[in-house]
Amino acid sequence: MENVDPLLIKGLAIGLGAIGPAIGVGLIGAAAVGAIGRNPEVQGRILSTAFIMAGLVDAVLAFVLLIVFTTGQ
Amino acid sequence: MFSLPLAVESEPLAAQKLFELGGLGMTNSMVFGLVVAVFTLALLGLAAARSQTRPRSRLAFYMESLVDGIFGVAIDSFNDRKKALMHLPFLVTLFTFIFISNLSGLLPGVGTIHADVNGHAVPLLRAFTTDLNATLALAILTIGLVQFYAIRELGILGHLKHYFTDKPWKPINLFIGVNEVFGELLRIVTLSMRLFGVIYAGEVLITTIALLSGNFAWFATLPVIFLEIFFSAIQAYVFMMLTTTYLAIATSHGEHQESNGGKIKLQTAN
Repeated sequence: MENVDPLLIKGLAIGLGAIGPAIGVGLIGAAAVGAIGRNPEVQGRILSTAFIMAGLVDAVLAFVLLIVFTTGQ
Repeated sequence: MFSLPLAVESEPLAAQKLFELGGLGMTNSMVFGLVVAVFTLALLGLAAARSQTRPRSRLAFYMESLVDGIFGVAIDSFNDRKKALMHLPFLVTLFTFIFISNLSGLLPGVGTIHADVNGHAVPLLRAFTTDLNATLALAILTIGLVQFYAIRELGILGHLKHYFTDKPWKPINLFIGVNEVFGELLRIVTLSMRLFGVIYAGEVLITTIALLSGNFAWFATLPVIFLEIFFSAIQAYVFMMLTTTYLAIATSHGEHQESNGGKIKLQTAN
């Protein structure tokens, strides 16, 4: 295990860490589009709530990026 | 073999010390944070001074629209116009300050102009929210204010009832209460880490993409910079929104009367 390329580990960390937030943002988008389709008159409030949720989920990916970028070779 | 250029060299995790001020080490993020704070104060003060019933100044009009938007969000969360009006100044200050701090990291010259400190080249300016100390201070201030308002609104016993319910001697209530207190401490960590993580990772992302794309850095970083502007607004909004929610939960009396009374009040207010 000593001669594993650190770049491989970094790539794996980004790839695996992006799975969760991607699923989360996808679910939020699907739910928001469905909700707007049901009652389009409250589109503004649904979109603002959806953006908050997307911001909360994106923080997880930001942690992954933070850890990947700040760990040296 | 091709190796990823490390952005760590260009922007370290910790803010660097520029000079000492009465035994207190002033870092570059603190200096720029002070500049941003003065700018925010001037902006809001100027807008308040020029505010009229029918605003002629464009600045006053935009700031009033922003304050009105935040007021609407606060009324929705508190279900109470008076309470929303009471907490409005803090929320507006939080949003404006965090938003301007986030955006200030994208200005040209921030992080690239260096000063000579004891023979080391140290960046002269660094965005306030890319420093974990800064976001931690904001989070501690926010949670402290939430606790203060909760105790002032409900009293210490009433506030403790939020965590431990009416019968704290029952084991399950005690367990839930300890968990809730731990969750309160965890809020400080999540609030600060979310803001810091997103903004700092964005700055490092721009640096890394600029290093990777070589001569085409001006083209490759453009979409990332637009993404960063979007994230700056979203993160400032999320921080303000979570503060509003924490305040609304902590200062609410019983569950049912409050929501019913609030709804009736909201209808009459509109």
